[in-house]
Amino acid sequence: MAIEATNGKKGWGDQDQVPGIKSELLELNMGPQHPATHGVLRLLLHTDGEIVYKVTPVLGYLHRCAEKIAEGVDYKQWVVYTDRFDYLAPMTCNHTYVTAVEKLGGIEVPARAEHLRIATAELSRVASHLIALATFGLDMGAWTPLLYCFREREEILNLLERISGGRMLYNYMVPGGVRYDLPRDNWVADVLEFVTMMEKKKLPDYNTLLTYNKIFIERTSDVGIITREDAFAYGCTGPVLRGSGVKWDCRRDDPYSLYHKFDFEIPVGMGEMGTVGDCWDRYIVRVREIEQSCRLIRQALEQLPEGPYQSIELKKPVRVPAGAAFTRTETAKGELGHYIVADGGQKPFRNKVRSCSMCNLQVLEKIGVGLMVSDLVATVGSLDIVLGEIDR
Amino acid sequence: MDHKAIFDLLAERIGAGAIAFHEDPIEPWAEIAVGRIAEACLFLRDDPRLAFDQLMCLSGLDWDGYDENGKGKSVAILGYQDDGTPEPGDRTATGDLGVAYHLYSHSLRHKFTLRVRMPRDRNVVPTVSGVWPTASWHEREAWDLVGIRFGGHPDLRRMLLEEDWVGHPLRKDYVMPGSWSGVPLQGQPFSENPFAPAAPAPAGGDTPAEG
Repeated sequence: MAIEATNGKKGWGDQDQVPGIKSELLELNMGPQHPATHGVLRLLLHTDGEIVYKVTPVLGYLHRCAEKIAEGVDYKQWVVYTDRFDYLAPMTCNHTYVTAVEKLGGIEVPARAEHLRIATAELSRVASHLIALATFGLDMGAWTPLLYCFREREEILNLLERISGGRMLYNYMVPGGVRYDLPRDNWVADVLEFVTMMEKKKLPDYNTLLTYNKIFIERTSDVGIITREDAFAYGCTGPVLRGSGVKWDCRRDDPYSLYHKFDFEIPVGMGEMGTVGDCWDRYIVRVREIEQSCRLIRQALEQLPEGPYQSIELKKPVRVPAGAAFTRTETAKGELGHYIVADGGQKPFRNKVRSCSMCNLQVLEKIGVGLMVSDLVATVGSLDIVLGEIDR
Repeated sequence: MDHKAIFDLLAERIGAGAIAFHEDPIEPWAEIAVGRIAEACLFLRDDPRLAFDQLMCLSGLDWDGYDENGKGKSVAILGYQDDGTPEPGDRTATGDLGVAYHLYSHSLRHKFTLRVRMPRDRNVVPTVSGVWPTASWHEREAWDLVGIRFGGHPDLRRMLLEEDWVGHPLRKDYVMPGSWSGVPLQGQPFSENPFAPAAPAPAGGDTPAEG
């Protein structure tokens, strides 16, 4: 199917048209196995030369029916499926789901468990943001930062493996607490050492390598601008919303867990290298969030209270009274939400997942129009989507 | 603003369209008439006292078999037997369908929940994608998985499944089709490879030279 580009003298991209030569839009598939789409995302582009006329994301290549499975298994059994949503930051997705079940079921959580949850979730967030920086740099042609970022991520995976037993998919949190207490070695000291090293040495390294690199700034500033109004209208959350200059973070403004007890700042995009809401702003928000996550990890572990780490025995099933509630928390990619309808039994009647990557990707239909194809790659990279969560 | 006051403002505007307010301790919600939902949402967004600028979530719901007494006795979804075929059962679903809207106001920091409910055979709801563009994909998902039509939606295609897929998986009476585009989906034992294995290589063809 070809769309008539124009009947007038000027082409859609304002270039001159040769009389007598019929021009039409080029239909171009970007994906589903394109390295720049960060997973199995297919973007159907209609381009006028190098300029994108229309972009249509095609989803569903990773659909695993997680919501249907939720209706057939009990509340605790479904935690493993949340790991597979955002497989780059599974702890944050665990946290969302257990928070939702606890809110609906009125389940108390011991303070020690909340501290461990925050520490592990923030470690996961750092790991996810490291991947975001690495792959974004790679999209822009910077190969070296990827190696550095993956080196640090590896250390986080080692730390999380020691506390949960899994390297990528942890299944660590359960409604009512966490599955395991601290390991018997000096895990806390190792995490604090890693955090200090990250703040003092690694982040300045990334800034030198990538953030303030002239070529990188040229490629990302003033590209793919999401205005504040668009961000709200399209339901953007997380670093994408903050990159547009909105000082909003679910952890502070709609608090859950024990985040209200801790001290951290919310970085926002300020248009330092161009316009507020461009790709560079979204990137720098992530870099600064790593710093804040490090602060949170340090506070959570230094104030770690003694006491139990589970309020319900592991083998005991969770029973949730009838009702329905929507709960959202801040994951690495944005606000992940669960709308759980309970009927009083051991299984949810309905569990709808509000995917933050899906809402963040939707804005591409608007801002992608008129970009160069190469700038579209930058924009997709800066949105930092993960397909496991979009397709569920 | 508290939930009751929001509901009163809404009832003042759309009258009988605002059916009831449920003071649920965890999450209060308002039931709205199906036909008036787009109007209600537009009012909630534009009135400066309410200013709901974000649609947090839009969920399609199938209420078939829901245990209203809250005893956990809802009708279970169809399972699958060991050989991959659905469990036998000929129950016809008759329950209502519904949609839940979760709204949030960034400027005034309040939340509100709306729900609509309609009979299974009249599954059309006015779209709110004109009010919040983010609703467009949520509604596509609800159509795809729950089978709720959104009247006036600019582009109501399936989102996660293929366009020629049969049925809507999150309905309570859903049975997976036998095959799709020549790919067998059910009736295969889970331990068996659904695709025929490649023919074995002919024996004694070219043996490597000894030495």
